Amino acid sequence: MSEMTTKSIQEESLDGKKLLEQFGGKFLRLFAVIVLFIVFSLTAQNFFSMRTVLTLALQTSTITLMGIGVTFAIITGGIDLSIGSVVALSGTIAVMTAIAGVPIWLSMIIGLLVGVVCGLLNGLMITKMKLPPFIATLGMMMVARGVGLTITNANAKPAPEGFGELGNGTVFGTGPQFPGIAYPVLIMIAVAIICHLILSKTRLGRYTYAVGSNEEAARLAGIKIQHVKNLNYIFSGLLSALVGIILASRMITSQPNSGQGYEMNAIAAAVIGGASLMGGVGTITGTVIGSFIIGILTVGLTMAGANYFMQQIVIGLVVIGAVTVDQLKGRK
Amino acid sequence: MISMTENIPVVEMRNIKKNFAAVRALRGVDLTLHHNEVLGLVGDNAAGKSTLMKVLSGAYIPDEGEILIEGNKVHLNDPLRARQMGIEMVYQDLALVNKLSVAANVFLGREAESRFKRLGLFSVMNQKYMEQETQHLLERLKINISSVRLDVEGLSGGQRQTVAIARATAFNAKVIIMDEPTAALSVAAISKVLDLVRELKAQGCSIIIISHRLEDIYQVCDRMIVLRHGRKVCDYPVVGDIHEFRERVVAYIVGARNDFPEATAD
Repeated sequence: MSEMTTKSIQEESLDGKKLLEQFGGKFLRLFAVIVLFIVFSLTAQNFFSMRTVLTLALQTSTITLMGIGVTFAIITGGIDLSIGSVVALSGTIAVMTAIAGVPIWLSMIIGLLVGVVCGLLNGLMITKMKLPPFIATLGMMMVARGVGLTITNANAKPAPEGFGELGNGTVFGTGPQFPGIAYPVLIMIAVAIICHLILSKTRLGRYTYAVGSNEEAARLAGIKIQHVKNLNYIFSGLLSALVGIILASRMITSQPNSGQGYEMNAIAAAVIGGASLMGGVGTITGTVIGSFIIGILTVGLTMAGANYFMQQIVIGLVVIGAVTVDQLKGRK
Repeated sequence: MISMTENIPVVEMRNIKKNFAAVRALRGVDLTLHHNEVLGLVGDNAAGKSTLMKVLSGAYIPDEGEILIEGNKVHLNDPLRARQMGIEMVYQDLALVNKLSVAANVFLGREAESRFKRLGLFSVMNQKYMEQETQHLLERLKINISSVRLDVEGLSGGQRQTVAIARATAFNAKVIIMDEPTAALSVAAISKVLDLVRELKAQGCSIIIISHRLEDIYQVCDRMIVLRHGRKVCDYPVVGDIHEFRERVVAYIVGARNDFPEATAD
């Protein structure tokens, strides 16, 4: 049918190999998750149980949601260091508006808006003021943290009843044997699916990769760089705010000190999942897998008796290892 | 009977002047491109070739002069407007996005939408259509790339150049401008690119090629313009044997000959 001139067999298999490499990275990571799960099931007591799986899913949902948000920023070639502070600030403001009498659902929406505003401010600093993303979000990290501490005077404040429903409720529960799937886990699944569709199927997703890979080429193609970047940072802020509200709900208090250090785990999840800080590379599925690698390691090592510091060492090694594997593949 | 439109040039640039602070980059340049013509644009560094083409592609606004597309006066205020007028530019560095596929690059900025149209940036793309169209485009242009899903960074230099050129032809371009299309390519790749230019001419395109390589200009161009210090110093059809051609052109490039009737004393 086609007019393709004859290619040597060598050339054909080379192109096929390139295609395989493009899609092969994800299988490797998924494989790693499965292996980890099996290893811990065999070596740690009680690991292979429904309770563990549910706990794992709930605990990992925090990193997963934040990791997904920061993945958007990373793909554009930037970074978002403010996500931990946005978690604290948005949860705090949500609780405080609820305390002030605002209906709970509305105070949670206000909390989400806090994330949107922080994200937009990050975006504007980067697009209008031309600040490097590292600097802009570092500044936001400090300012947001400071604002949260100021308005609460660094005190945790208890939220009204009902605020705890979101973080602690479950569905499909059948009693003590199977307490059900927690709402945050469902939220994580829904958000992951939506964000995956946005990145892979919409023009915004494509332009995000374009801007991260070759911003000048994107500009010459008529893409509105500033809009693309602003939207991506808004996603990052929004998802951090979502986590902030979930955490505040689980604790049923506002915690202006929460979220510290979470940005590092979120970035680690994205990087283990294949995102490149150079921009243009990264996927939602990769980040989800990366966050579960961290989650399984955390839960499994704890159950196997390793302390928190040991976990840090292991996770750090995994980050280095994952990026090294990517580098080696790319160099072939 | 020859229709009227065939007599009107596709592009006419009249008396284009462009200054950058104290530097007079273009001092009143005229350029005409006829339908289905391949025009070579030649000159030493800083002669004004790139500047002139940036004016045509909308990247620069001229200080004086006018531009006509198919006889109609136009104001090319930005690259998007120029593209809407049918002027497509293939940049020297190709402006391809490495981490996107061939199909994605061809449709960059002009993606086909499937459902959920009119949601702006959130509209869903029609991947299948874009991949099929890109496949057909490459086949029509006899470009040899086994899959339009390959990331562009995995292609050879020659393949990348042909993809960049194919992208310029994909959306009903009236004029295609190529900036140094064969610089930094292997001998085999250069040959493929020149074949592609001949194929485009056979399919009715009008092309302007900026090039340092006189042998390439000689092979594919119908006519040739030499710029020197922001002025046109030569405007001849490409005829004669290659050696005589080279000597003549080089003489104009370096200023050894300055007998072009339209060259304004300035």
